[in-house]
Amino acid sequence: MFAPLEVMGDFKMEISLLIAVLIGIGFGFFLERAGFGNSRKLALQFYLRDLTVFKVMFTAIVTAMTGMIFFNAFGWLDLDSIYINPTYLWPGIVGGLIMGAGFIVGGY
Amino acid sequence: MTPKKYWSPYLAGVGLGLVLLAAFFIAGHGLGASGSMMRSVVAVEKVISQERVDSNKYLAGYGGGDTNPLYDWYIFELVGVLIGGVISGTLAGRMKKETNHGPRITKQKRWVFAVIGGALFGFGARLARGCTSGMALSGGAALSLGAWVTMMSIFAGAYILAFVFRKLWI
Repeated sequence: MFAPLEVMGDFKMEISLLIAVLIGIGFGFFLERAGFGNSRKLALQFYLRDLTVFKVMFTAIVTAMTGMIFFNAFGWLDLDSIYINPTYLWPGIVGGLIMGAGFIVGGY
Repeated sequence: MTPKKYWSPYLAGVGLGLVLLAAFFIAGHGLGASGSMMRSVVAVEKVISQERVDSNKYLAGYGGGDTNPLYDWYIFELVGVLIGGVISGTLAGRMKKETNHGPRITKQKRWVFAVIGGALFGFGARLARGCTSGMALSGGAALSLGAWVTMMSIFAGAYILAFVFRKLWI
């Protein structure tokens, strides 16, 4: 297993931050391509008039998830070394509901 | 130039998924957004009162003493997000100033609601330890139970209140 590269190898902070910018560029590019720059488009999912968010989000999750499983099966990526968000059930539920309220009020 | 159509959500989704996969493969963690906002706030608080940042355990973890809250992976990633968004928007002819809202409210009202909604979202994101990017998308792909619970709660919260705020959007 040689990945995650930055966990297994010794990366300089500057290199790590440069990679962060490049990954961010990809992130922003595809979000805009999908139409996530338009708050009304995002909000319309809650009126079942535009389901772009679901399609993009779950396609992305399935893509990344499948990739990680395959990379692990190939013996490349150590899944024990990636960050998995810890579970705090009630803060997660209450925080999520508040975010949902913010989403429908604010649009993002 | 007339704006080009958005990409198919499945194509954009695969692209986004590959970027997320790259983040996990290279950096060992996913993408994020709200954490960078919080770090930016800590940076401003540091300018106003270093004492206050140091005395709060949570804030001190990000900006205590000589720690620079902006010297961080997610802050640089967010800079990239802005660049990537501008590149995509410019190439598609979508770069313009606009306020998105439904036909039944004014632009001014939309802005007021945007601030209120943003504040709620920011508060909720800190409580849940992550937003739609860091928690739902990244944690979802890493199959974190808490991330899926938060993701469903976000959708639930918005659907529950959708009828009440329908005039904002439809």
